[in-house]
Formats: sequence, structure tokens, C-alpha cells
Amino acid sequence: MVDLATKSLLHDKLRFAITVSGVAFAVALVFVQVGLFLGILDNASVTIEHADADLWITSKNTPNVDFAHTFPESAVQRVRSVPGVARADNLIVWYMTLTLPSGAQEASLVYALDDFRRWNLPWRVAEGDLTDLGRGQYVFLDASAEKRFGPFAVGEYREYLGQRMKIVGRTRDALSFSTTPISFMDFSRAQKLAYQTLANKTTYVLVKLAPGADLESVRAEIRRRLPYNDVYTKNEWAKRSRAYWVESTGLGLNMMLTVFLGCLVGVVVVAQTLYTSTMEHIKEFGTVKAIGGGNGDIYRILGKQAAIAAVIGFLIGAAMSYAMRPAIAKISLKLIIPPSLALVVFAGAVVLCLAAAMISFRKVASIDPALVFRN
Amino acid sequence: MTVLEAAEITKEYREGLEAVPVLRGVSLSLARGEIVSLEGPSGSGKTTLLSILGCILTPTGGRVVVEGEEVDPDRPARLPAIRRKSIGFVFQQFNLFPSLTALENVEYALNVKGVAGAAARREAERVIDAVGLSDRSGYLPRDLSGGQKQRVAVARALAGRAPILLADEPTANLDSQIGGQILELFRDLAKKEDRALLIVTHDPKVRAIADRVVGIRDGVVSEARPAA
Repeated sequence: MVDLATKSLLHDKLRFAITVSGVAFAVALVFVQVGLFLGILDNASVTIEHADADLWITSKNTPNVDFAHTFPESAVQRVRSVPGVARADNLIVWYMTLTLPSGAQEASLVYALDDFRRWNLPWRVAEGDLTDLGRGQYVFLDASAEKRFGPFAVGEYREYLGQRMKIVGRTRDALSFSTTPISFMDFSRAQKLAYQTLANKTTYVLVKLAPGADLESVRAEIRRRLPYNDVYTKNEWAKRSRAYWVESTGLGLNMMLTVFLGCLVGVVVVAQTLYTSTMEHIKEFGTVKAIGGGNGDIYRILGKQAAIAAVIGFLIGAAMSYAMRPAIAKISLKLIIPPSLALVVFAGAVVLCLAAAMISFRKVASIDPALVFRN
Repeated sequence: MTVLEAAEITKEYREGLEAVPVLRGVSLSLARGEIVSLEGPSGSGKTTLLSILGCILTPTGGRVVVEGEEVDPDRPARLPAIRRKSIGFVFQQFNLFPSLTALENVEYALNVKGVAGAAARREAERVIDAVGLSDRSGYLPRDLSGGQKQRVAVARALAGRAPILLADEPTANLDSQIGGQILELFRDLAKKEDRALLIVTHDPKVRAIADRVVGIRDGVVSEARPAA
């Protein structure tokens, strides 16, 4: 079969390039916007995802992991005695003011535990030994802090709430949604530093279930014993933390608007170029009809051209997006493009291009084949 | 044997509330192997008649019979099938697909008619050879001369062995010498392959190859006489 659709599409290379560019830029726009959105959201729950806890006990109505509220640290005792709980520990997540060597003050989000290894926090240690944290006024600082605090080295000191703390380790990938650098320190050290607010207090209790324990029954029992707290599974808590930022900051709306605009731009470009192309080739389509072809033959030509533009545009757009990842990483952002997103964008590109072609379908349906006799 | 018959054809176009008659009771028939020249001034209705005979338009009144099948104006969806099976067109502007080579232009027409694969390729090569363009079969229309383009158009009309060939001013865009060659080619192939050929024209040279000349003026067939 002679492939009139492909040959005709490739015959006018400039128009083909414009059509494909329209799709490619729309695809790249959607990938970058959604990818950055997912990357930022990933920061909002990255510590929850990596912590080896099945349940998180929070104060009532805590909106997300970064904005913690205190409750008595003794709650952990009641949790440890619940059947099915293998272990439970207090975790403090608290903003502390940090004084830089320049005298400037910045905030750090401090994660404080008695035993970090036990809970897989932090999960990437670049330098230092976590057991050192319990031995004095020591702190681990995430490498991402260099952007905000300036360069630092293990062995240097920084002031946390006016107390001199020695940096004994460096972590990686421990990020917060607000980009506030994360520090790790011993639980009791954090309580002493912020004595007025954290003395005898915690902000979370992490719970690991015993093998075979039923999560829902354990949770129900914890809720019974701690009626003034909330108990979330890991997934629920991660989802709640992410949802807070999506809903409260307008980030979700912004992302959806950009995706909508990206799609709109793509559809308009494809629709416009296909329509113009259809109008320019109207006599050819009239000829197709005159030699016995029907509207279906012409719809197939236009549909195939739209599909080709969608596939090639998608591939170029996806390649552009992936090529941007290293540059985006350099500014401490993540571009996350999961296969499911790629699949949805691909299907969307094809569907929207076909929808754009339908504007031309209407024109083609009204072609009078007698136009082939006109000059 | 008659392959195309039109009886008492009328056609009106509407201009606002007014009906403008273009054809007023035209009757015409074409037999296999016959070449007819349809002549008339601009606005006489010859292209409208060609469109009706070619099952592109339906008449307001009268009847058209193509290879024994009466064209039903109430079933316009049937018209493309009749065109595919029975009619080949040659246009004044050639109307070749610019992105397809000469051979592909012919092969695509065969694809539309339902002939595909090797059979289509063989038939396309046969007719391209018949019009003397074997050495140009891989050329795009932009690389062909006007005469060569019209040869491709003739080949496309011949492909699929439609018994009726309808040509609209096939020599209008060609110089006199090339136009003459195209007409001779038309005559030879139509006679050899026993096709009925109707040529709408202003070109007096067509008379030289026609078996019959039909004149049309103001939507009425004014004369029907053997060619000189």
C-alpha cells in the first residue's frame, strides 16, 4: 500500500517540523512541570518513605511531617506495651535556628532520635559514624545545606539555638519540602537545646510491628490508648504530608493549570498546522474522492498524520525532558518522570493530536469532489 | 456495447431563493471503444455534465446508468463505489499527489480501488509502461514536464481497467505538440483496451481522434455528429 499520509506529511519538511515541535514542546512542558512537581512533593515525604516505621503517631491534626506539634514523650511507653508492636521510639522533628560563621541566622529542620540506625534514618551517610551522635554535642548535616549555609566540612562547628555543635557527619538526599536543610542529632540533645518547648516532649512516635502482627488491630489499640493522638500508616502519613502542600500552597492548581496550558498549546499548534495543511491539500483530498475514495480514506490519512506527529513529538519532548535532568539536579531540584506519567503523557499526546485532526475532519467531510475540475 | 447512458439530465443550482438551470434535458451515451468529444463554450454546462456522468454530482432530474447500474440520487454513499469500479478521470491540472512518485501516484489510485500489494504494483508498472514513462516512474511530479505529468494522469485513469474514461480539458495546460501526443496516446490506449472515452475540450485537435462530437450550449446538447 502506498503510504500517502506519511509521504505527504514528510513532503513539507518545514510544516512537519513545526507540527512536531508543537507537540514536543507541549510534551516537554508537561513532563517538566509534573516532573518538578513530583520532585518537590517527593521532598515532602522523603523521610517518611525511608524511615523503617509501619506506623507514625502524631499529635492531633498535625498537617505534615515538617510542622510537628509536641506531646508527652511518655506516650511511647504505652505504645511499646501494645501487643504486636516490635519496637517504638520517640522522634523529634523541630525547626532550630542555626548561626553561621558569618553571624547570619538560618533555620534547620532537626531530626532527633535515640537510635538512628534502627529506623534507617538518615539513609545515605556520606561521612561520619551515626553512633557518634550520642556521644556529645554532635550533629550530622545534609550536603544540600551547602547551598543555603555555604560550604561546610566534618569537624567544623555551628551554633544551634546558641549552643556550639560539632558537625561529625554528612548525609545526602535528606531534603524537606521547604528546602530547609535537615540536621540529625541525638534525641536528648535536641530536648536540651530547645528545653522550653521540648523538655519531656516528643513530636512523633515511630512504630515497627512484630512479624505477623495485624496492622489495623495494632493501630486500633494504639488509638484506644492514645485518644489525643493520630495514628497513620506510612503511606497515609506520606500522602497527608504531600497533600498539605498541594492543597495549601496552590501548587497543585498551578501544576494543573500549566499542564492544561501545555496541552492547549500543543493541541492548538497541531490543529492549526493540520488544518492549514488540509486546506493546502484540499485539491488532493478532492482527487482522492474523485478516484473513488471516501471520507474514511481521508480521515485515515489525517489521523495517521496526527498520530505520527504525536509519536515523534512525544519522543523528542521526552528526550528534551530527560536531557534537562542533570541541569535541574544542579539547582537542587528533582525531575521525577515515572513510567506511569510517561504512559499517560504519551496517550494524551496521541488522543489530543487526533482530537486536533478532527477539526480538519469536518472540513474534509464537506469537500466537493467536483472541485478537481476547477482551476 | 453501451457502458454509460444519460437520459434527460437536468441540473439546477440554487442562488439564494432562485434555481439556476445548468443542464436542461441532456441525453448522451458512450459505448466501449468509442471516443466522444464534448465541446462547448465556458458556462455551457459541460463540466457539470462531466461531473454527473462521472458520478461526482447527482442530477436534479433524469437518469444515469453506468455499466447497467442505474445511479440512485438518493444513495449518494454508493457513488464512490461506482467511481472506483467503472470510471477513470484525467484532469486539466493533472491533480497528481506531489509527494508520490509517478508510479506511486498510479499505485495509490489502485489502492483506493481496492487493489493492493504486488498486484497493484504490477498493474501500475503496466500502465506506466503503456504511457511510455518507465524511465521516469520514480520521479516526483515536480521533476516531470507538463506532458509527462499528463501521461501519469492518463496512466492513473487507465489503472484498474475502468471501462469509462472521462477527461476534462486534458490538453489545456500543454503546448500544441505535446497535447497532440497525449491525444494520440489516449486514442491508442482507449481503442486498444476497449475503453469508452469522453473528452471535454475547447481544443479542436480532439476532433481528429474522436468518433463523435457532441456540442453543448446553455445546458442543451446542440449537436451530435460524427467527427470529420
